[in-house]
Amino acid sequence: MSSGMKASRWGNKHLAQKPGIVCLMAMFLVSLPFWADEYITTIFIQILLYMSLGHMWNLLAGYTGLVSLGQQMFIGLGGYSLAVITEVYHLPMLLGIFTGGLVSVLFAWLISHPIFKMRGVYFTIGTWIAAEALAVFFSNWTFVRSGQGFNITISYGLSTGDIYFVALAAGAGSMALVFLLLRSRIGLALMAMRDNEHAAEAIGIDLYRTKLMCFLLAAFVTGITGGAFYLSIAYIQPFAAFGIDWTVAMVFMVIIGGIGTMEGPVIGAAFYVLMKQYLYAYPGISMILLGTTAIGIILLAPKGIMGMVQERYGLDLVSVRRWSKEG
Amino acid sequence: MEIVQSIVNGIMLGGLYAVIGIGMSIVFGIMGLTNLAHGDLVIVGTFLCMSLAAQFGGNLFLSLGLTAILMVLIGFILQKYLVNKVLDKGTEPALIATFSISICMANLLLLLFGADARSIQTPIASTNIVDTAYFSISAVYFLDFVTALVVIAALHYLLGHTYFGRAIRAASGDAGAAELMGVDTKKTYSYAMCLSMLTAAIAGMLVGMTFVFYPSTGTQYLIIAFAVVVIGGMGSLAGTLVGGVVLGLAQLLGAYFFGVGYQLLCGYLVLLILLTVKPEGLLSTAVRK
Repeated sequence: MSSGMKASRWGNKHLAQKPGIVCLMAMFLVSLPFWADEYITTIFIQILLYMSLGHMWNLLAGYTGLVSLGQQMFIGLGGYSLAVITEVYHLPMLLGIFTGGLVSVLFAWLISHPIFKMRGVYFTIGTWIAAEALAVFFSNWTFVRSGQGFNITISYGLSTGDIYFVALAAGAGSMALVFLLLRSRIGLALMAMRDNEHAAEAIGIDLYRTKLMCFLLAAFVTGITGGAFYLSIAYIQPFAAFGIDWTVAMVFMVIIGGIGTMEGPVIGAAFYVLMKQYLYAYPGISMILLGTTAIGIILLAPKGIMGMVQERYGLDLVSVRRWSKEG
Repeated sequence: MEIVQSIVNGIMLGGLYAVIGIGMSIVFGIMGLTNLAHGDLVIVGTFLCMSLAAQFGGNLFLSLGLTAILMVLIGFILQKYLVNKVLDKGTEPALIATFSISICMANLLLLLFGADARSIQTPIASTNIVDTAYFSISAVYFLDFVTALVVIAALHYLLGHTYFGRAIRAASGDAGAAELMGVDTKKTYSYAMCLSMLTAAIAGMLVGMTFVFYPSTGTQYLIIAFAVVVIGGMGSLAGTLVGGVVLGLAQLLGAYFFGVGYQLLCGYLVLLILLTVKPEGLLSTAVRK
């Protein structure tokens, strides 16, 4: 990685060392619903929520080596938790969202034992099948009204601004979590694992526990984000909630933005949401364009847009690397 | 004695599942690639076959032949210009590239044909070939099973007893050594993909005759293909038939005992359990990669 050497042209670019810029960005995001119009706020809600999903998929696929195509199971569990807590038990909304995270972690922990026995591509499709199985199960489960689904009426009373702050919490929270995690001991363990799994194990890194922790964390945040998504969608139905489309979005965002980078999911989420919005009337075409872009990126620039920027300008805004004094 | 009927149907359906899975098995066995676009490519075959049959007044033999040619062409182009290039970049990029192809295919079909459910009309769809007091076998299901036997036998002969097959197996055994011997492994991979697409064309026609289909059904058939290959063992030809029958029986017996709503769920659960306890498959020959 040569970004340290190339850094001179832009000076010191680590946002962590520029509290002023971080504060400005935070003020911009926090104040946004007070000055921006409804439409802009809605777009930002989407970007923040997709960004949260992207960060979690990136944590798994980009840093932990777990390529899961079954993350939609946590979206569905999060959304359904929100629906059941608010519609069946008439409890507060935030409790519903939080329960979504807990249920997701619990389910992730339950399936982790069998699913971690599957390696590589088996894990990838195993998670997908688990999600499909959940979709079929929920469509037969009368407690959650089978295929009929729920109207999440609690969200009718919420303004766009309210939903925005939930989305901001999910988006900023997910980014902060991944950032802190990667700069912790676990982050070092993950990088050691990525570079050489056997060597990492030999120096005493518990591969299973490290992977499990990342899987559970991703489940928790994806579950919460799923709940937040269903606040803005306001209607949940099993085959949409557990649909592969969620994971398609995660994969495309992260691949296009830059897998294994902190900024990738942010760029990817903005690209994904704006593209979908721009081609709103042609959903098929936007997916084909996203798919071909992803294939092109894999062929030409495996580290995505952010990878290209990093290589060209040495720009490394949110670095999870720690430099020595000389570096 | 409805359970007899369920068992018979499960076995027959297993034949169809085997034909769907066999193409994925070939590609995995020879180039170690899990082709996540396989399900959608099968459905592309189904739509091609349907459109061509409509053009040629329902002549299914002619449309199958043309579909096979088109599918082999699609496979060759995909392999030569895309998959062969991605394969060098490692397992995960290749996996995600095929996933992207799958999404593109499904959305292309959606644009061209709309989201409505369709089927390929055949006179044999409503006839029973065997009709006893205990069970009956519909002609379409029988055709599914017989086709599976024929396809597996043909591939067994082709891969095991011809020069072409030996070249392919050499490339899959040790790509490096085969390249040193002057075998163009990338070209061999292209042939393998063509072979896989040929079976996908046949599977596509059978799917269209047996079930209704729509552009987004591809993922469902991908999971079936994967299940068949995993249960039978990656790279084993006879294993795909075993895998297909196990999956077909799991689904139809699940439907018999728990209700039709649980048909798919039982198939998924059997697969997940087998993946956990016997991940190398029931009849595996290939090394897990």
